[in-house]
Amino acid sequence: MPESKSTREVFAELARKELDGKEPDSLSFDTPEGIRIRPLYTSEDWVNVDGLEQSPGEYPFRRGPRATMYTSRPWTIRQYAGFSTAEESNAFYKRSLAAGQRGLSVAFDLATHRGYDSDNERVSGDVGTAGVAIDSVEDMKLLFDGIPLGSTSVSMTMNGAVLPILASYIVTAEEQGVAQKDLSGTIQNDILKEFMVRNTFIYPPAPSMRIVADIIEYATKNMPRYNSISISGYHMQEAGATLDLELGYTLADGLEYIRAALSRGLLIDQFASRLSFFFATGMNFFLEIAKLRAARELWAKLVKERFSPRDARSLELRTHCQTSGVSLTAQDPLNNVVRTTIEGLAAVLGGTQSLHTNAYDEALALPSEHSARVARNTQLILQHEAGITHTVDPFGGSYFMESLTEELSRRALSVIDEVEALGGMARAIEAGLPKRRIEEAATRRQARVDRGQDVIVGVNRFQAQSEDAPPLDVRVAGGRAVLEAQRARLENLKKIRNDQAVVRALSELRARAGAGSGNLLESAIEAVRARATVGEISATLAEVFGRYEGRVHTVTGVYGSYYQTDAEWSALRARVAAFGAAHGRNPRILIGKVGQDGHDRGAKVVASALADLGFDVDLGAMFQTPREVAREAMDNDVHLVGISTQAGAHVTLVPELIAELRALGASDVRVICGGIIPPADEPALYAAGVSLIFGPAAKIPEMAGKILDLLEAPSVSSARVKP
Amino acid sequence: MSFASELAHAVHNGDRRALAKAITLVESTRAEDREPARTLLSLLLPVAKPGIRLGVTGVPGAGKSTLIDALGMCAVTDGRRVAVLAVDPSSRDSGGSVLGDKTRMTKLAQEDAAFIRPSPTRGVLGGTASRTREVIALCEAAGHDVVFVETVGVGQSEERVASMVDLVLLVLLAGAGDDISSMKRGVLEAADLIAFNKADAERVASVQADAASLRASLGISRAGRMPDVLSVSALDGAGVAELWSALLSRQDEAAQSGELLLRRGSQRGAWFEAALDDALHAVFVEDSELSQAREAALREVESGALSAPEAAERLVASLLARR
Repeated sequence: MPESKSTREVFAELARKELDGKEPDSLSFDTPEGIRIRPLYTSEDWVNVDGLEQSPGEYPFRRGPRATMYTSRPWTIRQYAGFSTAEESNAFYKRSLAAGQRGLSVAFDLATHRGYDSDNERVSGDVGTAGVAIDSVEDMKLLFDGIPLGSTSVSMTMNGAVLPILASYIVTAEEQGVAQKDLSGTIQNDILKEFMVRNTFIYPPAPSMRIVADIIEYATKNMPRYNSISISGYHMQEAGATLDLELGYTLADGLEYIRAALSRGLLIDQFASRLSFFFATGMNFFLEIAKLRAARELWAKLVKERFSPRDARSLELRTHCQTSGVSLTAQDPLNNVVRTTIEGLAAVLGGTQSLHTNAYDEALALPSEHSARVARNTQLILQHEAGITHTVDPFGGSYFMESLTEELSRRALSVIDEVEALGGMARAIEAGLPKRRIEEAATRRQARVDRGQDVIVGVNRFQAQSEDAPPLDVRVAGGRAVLEAQRARLENLKKIRNDQAVVRALSELRARAGAGSGNLLESAIEAVRARATVGEISATLAEVFGRYEGRVHTVTGVYGSYYQTDAEWSALRARVAAFGAAHGRNPRILIGKVGQDGHDRGAKVVASALADLGFDVDLGAMFQTPREVAREAMDNDVHLVGISTQAGAHVTLVPELIAELRALGASDVRVICGGIIPPADEPALYAAGVSLIFGPAAKIPEMAGKILDLLEAPSVSSARVKP
Repeated sequence: MSFASELAHAVHNGDRRALAKAITLVESTRAEDREPARTLLSLLLPVAKPGIRLGVTGVPGAGKSTLIDALGMCAVTDGRRVAVLAVDPSSRDSGGSVLGDKTRMTKLAQEDAAFIRPSPTRGVLGGTASRTREVIALCEAAGHDVVFVETVGVGQSEERVASMVDLVLLVLLAGAGDDISSMKRGVLEAADLIAFNKADAERVASVQADAASLRASLGISRAGRMPDVLSVSALDGAGVAELWSALLSRQDEAAQSGELLLRRGSQRGAWFEAALDDALHAVFVEDSELSQAREAALREVESGALSAPEAAERLVASLLARR
């Protein structure tokens, strides 16, 4: 009897007919991770898949950390928010809780992240722009005024100034009458990814890791319901990492934190169940679902193999997810509601424990009241209208999903193996490996989007024909008034507190930092009780540890390689060369960041692409003041300065930069801006003297063309400008 | 006053912007900038007072920039004025470059007494556009008595740098013993001082072993003054002050023995040779007839129709024939 044909063979025959004889393989698609997605998956793809017969809640947890999942308790709607002042944020939190939100998630401003009080001159553009400004426990008390911390779980995104912020939260609870043991919530406390991508660190890597371990140790002993760390891949994907890199590096970070905690003499079962995770969910729908399933299984296996815990809960990966910020577009912002819905759906089909859905206007500004409501409602609709909470792991057993989970696991594991071979994540970061890999991926992504290989509706295809959408009413954050209110509150605090107690507490903190022993969180709590400020506590530690400046690396040649045969690109290169011949040197641009915003992906991608075109690009240090940037522009004698801005500080700092250039007599240096710049800010920036403004979706060749137009204009200086 | 003499005055008066513009002028590859650049230099050379010219070389990632930041701060604290010329090797096919060294000199960058200027290695015309010697002179004329020249260690660049500075500091990565044994002798021997960087606590033992074996091997091979071998951690500052005083005493010794005078003489000699090459090259670029002849010869050489020495000989002959 002839063997019957397999499903795959039958499909191939049918497909060939539909495709006029072409092979069905020609329909396969390669993801940026290098995974080949085929048009059909069948039972034959299950050959290498194990664990199909698992129950959710059972090791290795591919199908979910708990058996009943959302059928008994839906995911926690946890919207990340923080607006300028503690009072404003407090009012927002109360409204959100009343409207059905289950937990709070605090966004701090960048001055706070970097451990500066609002009255520090380095942060004048950052106070209250990207989140709430917290200078002391008094601000923290206003933030949680009327919100019972014993029964509301609070997540805090804080890594750099983690000691004074966590201490302020603990002391706020204490003064509400809530004991440490009753606090529930999460502190991000994930410093490794800061060195990789997000850059809101304060101290060098070694003392930073000590702080992480101190917090895990303290929370293990005193705060049993509290997640002492949220190991985050989110910012890696936002910085351009592919999903295998995001997953691999996040779990590798987790292994490093476990080793740090074990080195304190803690036992794995004392703390492993309080480690939590945080992933991004982008637009790659199926792969994102697979990522969460793979994450749980890989983590369970890694922890079991390496640390042999006795308690099964030590093996469970519990995670928060947030929809992708970089997938949002400034063009046609209402399209973002659709994107966020798809991404949120992927997160819950993957089995997340809590979720933040982005607001549609976040490519332009912090969410408005309206956009924040739509974002929250997106989750309420998923939870209550779509019927998706009635079945656990609905994709379990899908030929495609199980294969994808397996394939992504394999790739992530090889990423982890590479890191572990270097001696773990701290070493790998020191060697610059993860940063380099992520930046390469980011540059490839930019080139694919600019070339139209990755389609973004309304941006590189299907652009709106007319401006028929009404302008959005976006939130205006920060500004002079917030800065002055914070400064006044600080001044008042310093008047009424007992300075001797502050000095005493800070010198104990300094001593522990210097001695290399003694828990720093315990000491920071004492300092906060005495009303030491966030800036004072951070500065005291910086006296001992130093402030870390960060290192800048760029990849080169990656962007240009996508354009080797492109006529527009060749024409641009010829224009750059002609400029060079006419001026005796290449066009020279300083790409800088001002303020405390550490997002440097955009700056680096642009730097690398412009260099591929023939520009000489000076890459500025992070966290600069306008004066420092102006001086570097003058010293290097650049033709123009490009400021990359993602967090609102441009409103104050870019006009200051132009004034500084004038003061130095270097007003021939042109200034351009790129990044997240609300349309409402543009007139003021142009009026201050900015020559060009580019949004987050600007294509690099177009940007380069406009820059060359600007430079070729007759007024631009050559070497022969009189001093 | 001419443009060049106005600029010269401003540079000599310590005007930062003038110094920045003057560097652009001498680095310019444009024909009409050659004459004012020459005038500028001839006005400023007599007032340029060289202090210490220090070459810093080493493989990428060895921590040269961070170490210069730390050493430069020692110099500033001593009341000296520092200039750092970072010769960036990242130029590529496109002729463009990413210059990022300054981001690792954040302390020095904030000092009024310090001037840091990264330069791309290649000019727009693809010639030998490096004008590092000229830039050193400009910085000295502007009152910077300590000049660091940072360059990446890839064989030839060391030799070039050695010919324009008083002392060469080679920065090696601590604990990378294999790299040292495979490193070219010439690179090690061109160094006056060798610093093992990133010698943090965990690596101290392996650094000491590396340093000892290096000293031993150098001792056999070199008859003259052995290079000092030190270990530092540029990041946390350990050993930096010691390295700075070792550099100073090395310079003092050279000054007292007369060695420094000899070195300065040969620096000028090497400058002359380079300037001659440069000027000759410029003739073949700027004179339209000769430039066309050069382009034609280049095409013939590339196609294999003509050998490179033959083509060069022919071009020189045609230059001489024009006299």
